[in-house]
Amino acid sequence: MTQAVTQAPTAALECRDLAKTYYSTDPPTEVVGGIDLDVRQGEFLAVMGASGSGKSTLLYNLSGMDRPTGGRVLLEGRDLTSLDDREMSRVRLTRVGLVFQQAYFLRTLNVRDNILLPALKAASGKRQAAEAAARVDALMERFGIAHVGRHGITQVSGGQLQRASICRALVCEPSVLFADEPTGALNSSMTKEVMDALTDVHSGGATIVMVTHDPACAARADRVVFLRDGRIVDSREFGTWSGEEAGRREDDLITWLRKLGF
Amino acid sequence: MITRALLHLRHVGNDLSRDKGVNLALAAVLVLSAFLMATGAMVMERVVGSVDQLFEEARPPHFLQMHSGDYDPGALESFAERHPDVEAWLIEDMLGYDGAALSWSRASDGESGDFSDSLIDNLFVTQNDGFDLLLDGTGAAPRPSPGEVYVPVAYQQAYDLRAGDELTVETDAGSRGFRIEGFVRDAQMGSSLNASTRVLVSEEDFRELGRAGGGAPEIIAEFRLADPSAAADFQRTYEADDALPKNGQAVTFDMIRLINAVGDGLPAVALVFASLVLIAIAVLSVRFVIHGTLEGEVREIGAMKAVGIPDRSIMGLYLTKYGVMASAACVVGGALAVVATGLLTRGVEANFSQAPPGAATVLVPVAALAAVFVFVMAVCRGVLGRVARMQVVNALVHGSLLDERREARRARRRARRLRPSALGSRRGRAVNRRLALLDLRAERGRWILLPVVFSLAAVLMVLPMNLLSTFASPGFGAYLGVPDSGVRADVRFADDVEAVHADVVEGMRGDDRLTDVRSFGNVLMEAEDADGPVNLRVDVGDHRRAAVEYLEGGRPESGEIALSLLNAERFGVSVGDELVVDGGDGAAPLTVSGVYQDVSSAGYTAKMQGEPPSGADAYVVFADMAGEEAPGDVAAEYEERFPSASVIPMREYIQQTMSYATDALRGAAVLSAVFGLGVALLITSLFLRLVLSRDRGKTGLLSAIGLSSGEIVGQVWLKVLVAAAAGTAIGVVFAATAGESLAGALVASAGLGIGELTFIPDPLIAYAAYPIALMGAALLGTLILTAPLRRADKSSWLGQ
Repeated sequence: MTQAVTQAPTAALECRDLAKTYYSTDPPTEVVGGIDLDVRQGEFLAVMGASGSGKSTLLYNLSGMDRPTGGRVLLEGRDLTSLDDREMSRVRLTRVGLVFQQAYFLRTLNVRDNILLPALKAASGKRQAAEAAARVDALMERFGIAHVGRHGITQVSGGQLQRASICRALVCEPSVLFADEPTGALNSSMTKEVMDALTDVHSGGATIVMVTHDPACAARADRVVFLRDGRIVDSREFGTWSGEEAGRREDDLITWLRKLGF
Repeated sequence: MITRALLHLRHVGNDLSRDKGVNLALAAVLVLSAFLMATGAMVMERVVGSVDQLFEEARPPHFLQMHSGDYDPGALESFAERHPDVEAWLIEDMLGYDGAALSWSRASDGESGDFSDSLIDNLFVTQNDGFDLLLDGTGAAPRPSPGEVYVPVAYQQAYDLRAGDELTVETDAGSRGFRIEGFVRDAQMGSSLNASTRVLVSEEDFRELGRAGGGAPEIIAEFRLADPSAAADFQRTYEADDALPKNGQAVTFDMIRLINAVGDGLPAVALVFASLVLIAIAVLSVRFVIHGTLEGEVREIGAMKAVGIPDRSIMGLYLTKYGVMASAACVVGGALAVVATGLLTRGVEANFSQAPPGAATVLVPVAALAAVFVFVMAVCRGVLGRVARMQVVNALVHGSLLDERREARRARRRARRLRPSALGSRRGRAVNRRLALLDLRAERGRWILLPVVFSLAAVLMVLPMNLLSTFASPGFGAYLGVPDSGVRADVRFADDVEAVHADVVEGMRGDDRLTDVRSFGNVLMEAEDADGPVNLRVDVGDHRRAAVEYLEGGRPESGEIALSLLNAERFGVSVGDELVVDGGDGAAPLTVSGVYQDVSSAGYTAKMQGEPPSGADAYVVFADMAGEEAPGDVAAEYEERFPSASVIPMREYIQQTMSYATDALRGAAVLSAVFGLGVALLITSLFLRLVLSRDRGKTGLLSAIGLSSGEIVGQVWLKVLVAAAAGTAIGVVFAATAGESLAGALVASAGLGIGELTFIPDPLIAYAAYPIALMGAALLGTLILTAPLRRADKSSWLGQ
């Protein structure tokens, strides 16, 4: 078994000289090249950039879904790049939550069982399983989907499904929630539902890393980083979100993005 | 038109190169199906053609009657004259020798040996005139010069004999050597099913051998009829005439044909059976692949429909691919079949005649291949019909093959099947098992392919194996109408049959190593059927301790008779009925005590209780082993002590008697096992390739929520294991139950005297090794196909 390098947790998430090159193409394609990034405890970070800039690749390498071809990723001070497959999957199960653009669910389970699944996987005893079930019910109540718990996944709306995704991502109380274009497949009212839910999660103290194309969604973040050709070219602090200054933050963000050629 | 054809072909090329694994596996199954079907058809055509050809050249008799002892040639002559139906007739004189009396010596390596391990009677004859000719390799009827001998091609193959080798006959006057001049094919006695074979010598040598003593003289009265279909009536008339010789077996033309075709046609039947199973598997796989392709390319198909391409053209695009694959498979399978048929029919052509290739030689396999092609294409066309039912918007927007109403109905159905808490109180690893089984249940329409294929593969493997083990089992004696005992002594070819028999019985009864010595005399009697008296061969002796299994009723007591199945059918009697039998001292009614199955003496035998009578044509003595002594050693000792008796272990007797079937079935069983395992591995791989590709999103999700690659792979293993095990179990049970009835019906229809076949399986192979091997094939396929899951970037599975 590989030994994880443990350091004092100065940030929730760090990466140093992170690189990802795909060798299946000829010539090999470097999608992310030498990124250094720190995500503070409780920070809501948005990652923006044009299509193909490497946003999603960065997110999947930070979250432990994929393995970088260079550099290191430290989650709560633990070097993910040194973990084997089982240790990495344990990290994804207990320390990382993921929300995707498409709401991926198992058709064989109803909405509640889908949310409960990771918690039961992580539970080691009956008491923990019961606690997980209670946590699922509380989360579903909090995000307004308790009434569709027994529904099949084809019987609920896209917004409800994405909120169920957020519930599932939070059920094991992860240290960082990663969201890849969580509103990319939703209409405007469903987008608001989902972003309100994520803002709510963040206001509860969660650390969030979100990839998005949508400035209105990115405006909810404390900080936005901008990627071009696999490298961070600029970043901007916006401070804590409050609904009242939404319009101003969005205008500021758009102006900044225009300067970056977005 | 040409542009469209080119477009279709380009599409086929791209499609084939895109998913090489699936296409290769599919092509392999199609090629195998076509290959087996074509080979089966070609072997059948060759066997029938070769038998026909030999029959045309050798002109076997339409009716023959064997006889040993005195007879009246004048009675035969006047019988033939009285019947205008008789085109030609002859009396063939023969001298019968036990295998131990004949030895060979190879000139090439100086090796020598005898035929004592063969049960076949060796009948020395001279060449006939006009009909029933023994033919050499060129189709000519050789007439050996003095000192020369022509031996059957079966001996040539079995003992690797060549022209120039030597054959020595032990006569009462000493050894007599012959130079083997060549080898002969025999239409009447050439089949491996036959109990006798003919050896050709010159007239002078035949007379010399007769004078020297040691051979048992016999004759065959042979008749060629103007109307061969009247042979059965002719036999009846012959047997009704008391003046004619008839203490041996009577055989008609149809029986000779049947014996020839069954002995060598069996592998062809097995091949056709295997090909039918493989075609079923191929068609199921094609269906599955097309479904998978349509699901995977639903948006592309939607787009084609959206721009106005007609359904027929879209279907044509896909149909071309399967047309190309199926026709290529037929061409390759057909070409391989030509090679395989050459190898498989080498023995057939040596035994019979090489039929000149005619229209049927080409048309039969081509028709078989065309049937395979048409069937596969019909199934493809049926599945592709979904393209026409597909709705453009649903295909483009939702990626669904179904229209909105059907989609909604499916969603409702799925929701209804969901349980309030499918995961229950499971946690940790138990969740993985639960997920796998839930998935298997939900996706049963797709996963059903594996159990079906594995059950077919199990049938393909187990059925021929069970048939083989049944025919090869010592317990098969029950079907030979003989008891399952240690050794058997046949006393037939002896100058003084009575004395030798008495000596053998006395020797065995005084031998501590043997116990339970029973003797049976084979007596020719007459019985009345609806049209008058016919010959009936009866084994008279003590049947009380013989372990013969009766289909109905039981062993005969005094005043009773037990009949073989074919005799019971012939006389139209069953247990409890009366049969009038004349044993030489007046006709008397006997009650039928039981009916048993028998393949010996062409299936026409009977049993009566009593002391073995003196004056029987032949005697058989059975004895059980008292201790651990090897039956082979005891038999060899008696064989040496009584050279004119044939003494062998029962096991060997059954083995030799059934060798025509076991030899053919052994090849078929090995081939079937290889094909079964190969197909199981191929289809598991093909299936997993498509399923894993389709389930990439699900796999990505499981990985994202924290399942390790090992756990995801474990779920796949569990699903494959459950599906394959269920299929294998069903297949094995089917082969052991319904398969037994099917095989029984097939064997019964062959008219060999077996009406009801009970498998005597080799449980270690059929019910342990084969299922384990099938599971091994499933797991090997899973191991290969799931290996990439452990290596890939998990995110690549999402969004696809």
